[in-house]
Amino acid sequence: MASPEILTSLKGTECLKTAFPGNNSEIYAPVDEAEFPAIIDALANDGCVLISLFCAQNFEGRKGLALFYAFERRGCENILVLMRSAKGSKATSVAQKFPSACWFEREVSDGFGIEFEGAFDNRRLFLHEVYPEDFHPLLKETPNKKIKLREKIPAESEYQFKPMNGEGVYQIPVGPVHAGIIEPGHFRFSVIGEPISNLEVRMFYKHRGVEKLAEGKTPEECVKIAEAISGDETVANSVAFCMAVEKISGAKIPARADRLRAVLLEMERIYSLLGDVAGMAVDIAFASGASPFFILREEILRQNANLTGSRFMKGIVGIGGLKKDVPENELRNLSSYLKTFPKLFKEAHDSVLSSTISVDRFDRTGLVEKRLVSPLNLTGPIARASGVQIDNRKDRPYGAYQSFKPRVKIMDGGDVLSRFEVKSHEILESVNLIQKILKDLPEGPVSSNFKISDGFCLSTVEAPRGQNLHWVYIKDGVVDRYKVRTASFCNWQAIEHAVIGNIVPDFPLINKSMNLSYAGTDL
Amino acid sequence: MNWPFLIYIFVNAAFALLISPFYMSLIKKIKAWTQRRKGPPLFQTYYNIAKLMKKEVVYSSNSSWIMRTTPYANMIAVLAAAMFVPLAFVPQGFDGVGNIILFVYLLAVARFFMALSGLDAGSTFGGMGSSREMSLSAIIEPTTIVVFAALAFTFKTTNLHEIFTETAKFPAFVMNPSLFLISIPLFLVIIVETARVPVDNPETHLELTMIHEAMILEQSGRNLALMELSSAVKQTLLTGVLVNVLMPWGLATEFTLQAILFSMLAFFAKAAAISIIIGLFESALAKIRLFLLPHIFMLAFFLSVLAILLEVF
Repeated sequence: MASPEILTSLKGTECLKTAFPGNNSEIYAPVDEAEFPAIIDALANDGCVLISLFCAQNFEGRKGLALFYAFERRGCENILVLMRSAKGSKATSVAQKFPSACWFEREVSDGFGIEFEGAFDNRRLFLHEVYPEDFHPLLKETPNKKIKLREKIPAESEYQFKPMNGEGVYQIPVGPVHAGIIEPGHFRFSVIGEPISNLEVRMFYKHRGVEKLAEGKTPEECVKIAEAISGDETVANSVAFCMAVEKISGAKIPARADRLRAVLLEMERIYSLLGDVAGMAVDIAFASGASPFFILREEILRQNANLTGSRFMKGIVGIGGLKKDVPENELRNLSSYLKTFPKLFKEAHDSVLSSTISVDRFDRTGLVEKRLVSPLNLTGPIARASGVQIDNRKDRPYGAYQSFKPRVKIMDGGDVLSRFEVKSHEILESVNLIQKILKDLPEGPVSSNFKISDGFCLSTVEAPRGQNLHWVYIKDGVVDRYKVRTASFCNWQAIEHAVIGNIVPDFPLINKSMNLSYAGTDL
Repeated sequence: MNWPFLIYIFVNAAFALLISPFYMSLIKKIKAWTQRRKGPPLFQTYYNIAKLMKKEVVYSSNSSWIMRTTPYANMIAVLAAAMFVPLAFVPQGFDGVGNIILFVYLLAVARFFMALSGLDAGSTFGGMGSSREMSLSAIIEPTTIVVFAALAFTFKTTNLHEIFTETAKFPAFVMNPSLFLISIPLFLVIIVETARVPVDNPETHLELTMIHEAMILEQSGRNLALMELSSAVKQTLLTGVLVNVLMPWGLATEFTLQAILFSMLAFFAKAAAISIIIGLFESALAKIRLFLLPHIFMLAFFLSVLAILLEVF
């Protein structure tokens, strides 16, 4: 095979010889246990980023558990997936070299019972204390049904937050039940007065078992599951899932469907990011500054309903394209509505930033340093606001993005203000992209029929919050393993770093400037 | 002590209790309009208080008598303060009430109990709110005193009743432009004392940003209704000081039914005007960084000192 850039780190290793290309420009490389540490070192030295780590059982006829390490190299289209078998449910941890592995490994530990040796954090992740000790839901032998939860939790199994000691250190527990109508998440602050010394985020209070639910279902049925991963990333996730299935079968989808998918993806980005910028204004108590954004968001949601019959665009994306065509007159309405949009948006944007108080609140608040982006695999607007040029639409173009490239704005600040600016830019750029796509939208069918074949594929999309990664493994016509890694899952780590040194009342603003999805984390 | 005075106390307090909730809704309505929302009905705060009155009170198992007494202590302190601020009728010839310093510290008593109750329930947010409130009041209190001192310098008395009698005779700002100077710090005192944007956000659900709301998070039912009502009355009293100093038109000093009724109507309208200004002021601003709050207090402090200097020299 040709030697893509991502493989340079594997030079001279045995596993390079056995590497084989996947269905979607990813490269699988089975690794021998003896060679594994050297390869991890080489990848770390070359600045590769661990973007996901997942596990599959009885993969391609091999008994037992196989671990998949997905690596990305900046500016390189291919993703390298190291395959490693976890013999005896034990494996060495890579979290020291790749900190983003911390949550990944804990997730795999909970799901499959693999013990990672040498990890700096071995606590449970998505299985809270109430689940019994030997329960590992993603193992094939665990049936997908109700289990008996522990009634009494022994003291030693209780979740231990990282202690912080010292005079005047005080812990503030916040959540998982909040005063507003928001999703559940627990934030444990260690503070001295108002400044935050440490924050630990604990999620997964509403873990739904999405990955287990998908197993044994036909790919068509799974589209609904993908849509339900996170409400405001419906299109992104369903498109990512469908793309994976289409690539496995080697199917091509009609050009009209490809373009319309991009329109819907960008519509989703617009309303999702509009909510973010509005939320930032609300959180500094600037309600009159936020309301124009909310009005625009509502108008976009109504456009969505006109286009697809659903405000959140559920039930339109299907395997092979779209489940139904979008009415031509609604597309024309959308195009003319979007002509008025930028002016209104810029007015709203300027009114927020013309207030010295809001600029003061945004400026240098919640700093995400650039050096954190790769080790923690931060993605999306957060990474772009910290000066890193990544956007899955440009780096690994898919669908219509192969011909329609967004202009990506990079800010160096890493603070709330930078994120506000990056998100604002992306809203306008999405409007731009939609207009370009609508200008020469080809006629024709929106769906192609094909037989779904068995196989596996990794697909990535740029959701509003960053890169979402889906890995689908179809065996005997049904989904055998479905792994989803959303942008939120990784980006929660950013918040733990961003708040340090800030004061407690600034936390909601920092949180909103990232606006991560809890549902997208509690899969 | 005699009958007319008792009637004054009763009517003044009842009038304050009656009209105060209206202004809370009015401010919400104004803010909603600036956001192009419809907003709550103008009587929503009355409905809320009536609803809360009927609800059961839940106490945290950690709480002590402080939690149980605070709503009443708060209400009593505020109603006692109401004696000092004649809203619609200034009684003549009664000594002993109206001292402006005592007025300020009656409000401080209410605040003191509220902060204690915030700590009492043992919840994190309550403690956080109390700590913030106390640190801020340590800064705002000197300013408030200086603002009222400026008022006292201008009128050569520390008695609010005498000040109002003076202004009721003829609108004093015609003679005395330094009252304009004082009106700005007085307005800022209202904003700070009633926990409004840019100091605090009464509408927020974000516990971590709260100051005033955090302290009453653990209050429920009738107790919460009393807390809300007493903050509403507090706002009316502070507005009353501003209104009757700066726009005293129609303020009754004679004990006739006609004059008092007219004066009540006039006060109602004037306080509504101030509430609208508060609503617009809140809408125009965002909440400033917690540690920058002293800047606002400094502005009030500076203008009051300027007023004092103008009066002295």
